[in-house]
Amino acid sequence: MTHEVHKVVRESGGLRIVIADSATSVTEDNKNDIVVNGSHCGANIAPDYILPSGARGAIGNDAGIGLENAGIASLKTLEEHGIPAAAVAAMSAEIGVGQSTYNEGVISTVNEVAKKMGVTVGMTAKEAADKILEGILNAT
Amino acid sequence: MAGQIIIKQSGNRKIVVADSAAAMDESTKGDVFVDGSHCGVNVGEMTIHSGVGAMIGNDAGMGKNDAGIAALKMCDEHGIPAAAVAAMSAKVGSGMSTYEQGQISAVNEAAKKLGVSVGMSAKEAADKLLEALAQS
Repeated sequence: MTHEVHKVVRESGGLRIVIADSATSVTEDNKNDIVVNGSHCGANIAPDYILPSGARGAIGNDAGIGLENAGIASLKTLEEHGIPAAAVAAMSAEIGVGQSTYNEGVISTVNEVAKKMGVTVGMTAKEAADKILEGILNAT
Repeated sequence: MAGQIIIKQSGNRKIVVADSAAAMDESTKGDVFVDGSHCGVNVGEMTIHSGVGAMIGNDAGMGKNDAGIAALKMCDEHGIPAAAVAAMSAKVGSGMSTYEQGQISAVNEAAKKLGVSVGMSAKEAADKLLEALAQS
């Protein structure tokens, strides 16, 4: 578990968009957050970090997608829990760097929950994070 | 820490497998740590601070500015042998997949000196690193 300080880039209606280098640093302190991070979206990320934290949305790196689409495996798991999630292309942002995901990331993959909120492939991560935040606010 | 699997031991060194590099801790100091994480800069920091003896992770498709293997160079600066497996050979996020299916795609200078080479299986690479560390 890493102990990094998350940068808050937007706050609205009790929700926040925060930036983290690693999804392993996501905790219960992020239960009102859309966490934009530099981690891959592999199978361990949802059950080990995002779901236990109660985070409301997640955007990570697709890690080149890789063997059996392992790099985006968590998007489906999060979808099954009603959590909007998306991944940016590994060639668009530096994996391991949350700020790069947020500033440079271009969405390559979207789960169904995020899709319903208007997140689409090709969108910037910044715009996607805004859509997720607004989508959650509109749903409540 | 939960999530570590000890594969084998030689002298006082081990090969330890975990899904995430974040599982590196006091108990893995000096060990060969094989994980499912990418080898980005933050993993480089974790590896250096943890005191592991060697690291094998996933190249995450290399990606922008080769960010997926940035940790290898950082480890070299600290004399830590490190290598990455190709994202198309092993499932990122799964340490056991790295260990059992991974094919080495990138090697740092310290690992190269110990006989690790591109195209080698992660298992063979981990064995080479373990043998070298156990003798040091």
